[in-house]
Amino acid sequence: MSNETELIERLKQGDESAFKVIVEQWQDMVYNTILGIVQNETEAEDLAQDVFIKVFEKISTFKGDSKFSTWLYRIATTTALDHLRSKKRKKRFGFLQSLGGGGSEEKEQVPDFHHPGISLDNKERSAVLFKAIDALPENQKAAYTLHKLEGLSYRDVSEVLNTTVSAVESLMSRANQNLRKQLEDYYNKHYR
Amino acid sequence: MISKEQIQQEIEKTLDSLNSVKRAQANPFLFTRIKARMNKKADGWEGVFSFISKPAIAVAILLLVMAVNGWALWDGSGETATADSSNASVSELASEYNTVASVNNYDYENMTNE
Repeated sequence: MSNETELIERLKQGDESAFKVIVEQWQDMVYNTILGIVQNETEAEDLAQDVFIKVFEKISTFKGDSKFSTWLYRIATTTALDHLRSKKRKKRFGFLQSLGGGGSEEKEQVPDFHHPGISLDNKERSAVLFKAIDALPENQKAAYTLHKLEGLSYRDVSEVLNTTVSAVESLMSRANQNLRKQLEDYYNKHYR
Repeated sequence: MISKEQIQQEIEKTLDSLNSVKRAQANPFLFTRIKARMNKKADGWEGVFSFISKPAIAVAILLLVMAVNGWALWDGSGETATADSSNASVSELASEYNTVASVNNYDYENMTNE
């Protein structure tokens, strides 16, 4: 029995020390994935906690058909995307409230996101890129983040997103096209 | 003004800015925070269960449920009596005005006063 399988078995029995090892082993992977999608450190930490609580509660449903890391990436990605959807809904509701005169009409200023793993000389460029990534449709954003920030192969990304490799290739190609278009608009405005 | 080639170069450099990104590190106290949240969640439910399982509260809830059931039964039978009495008053009214008791919307055209 491998170390990972043994840990999972122990977690299924409710072993807290196994849970601690699992959290410590995979916390950076989960946090980095979520951070890339939500682009906010405080929210990413809360969501990473949610992910591990879900792991603890749902471990009995893990049958071992996929790799544990794939299962974990899937929970992290879904949790982050669900969070973005709920944020968008709240924003829309706030907008409707402001139309009705019920809320503040001040526009929320989203600060630039600086990923902590980016070197100082790339800080400004990557902030521009993250803003463009944030505007991508959610499945393109998930694929791009898993591939670029976590370094997953297209095959691994396809397993996490429960799709085919060719579908991931298509998602990545469209994501790159969209990013190029947005960056072109940005630099045209910026240097005008 | 910047040329098209220069803009393309900027785009390429920006797209490449993630190539050497390092993995962001989670808070080293993440597990402690997760445990605290899980304990809080469990305490919440334990609090509810321990409150409900107190003998005085359990008996009070049981009596309340029985009282609500009893009231629902009593109220239900009262409603039948009310319905019966209202039917009786309709037929009384009908006979008083010498019309058919089961008047409905479609009968309005055929209503006859004898």
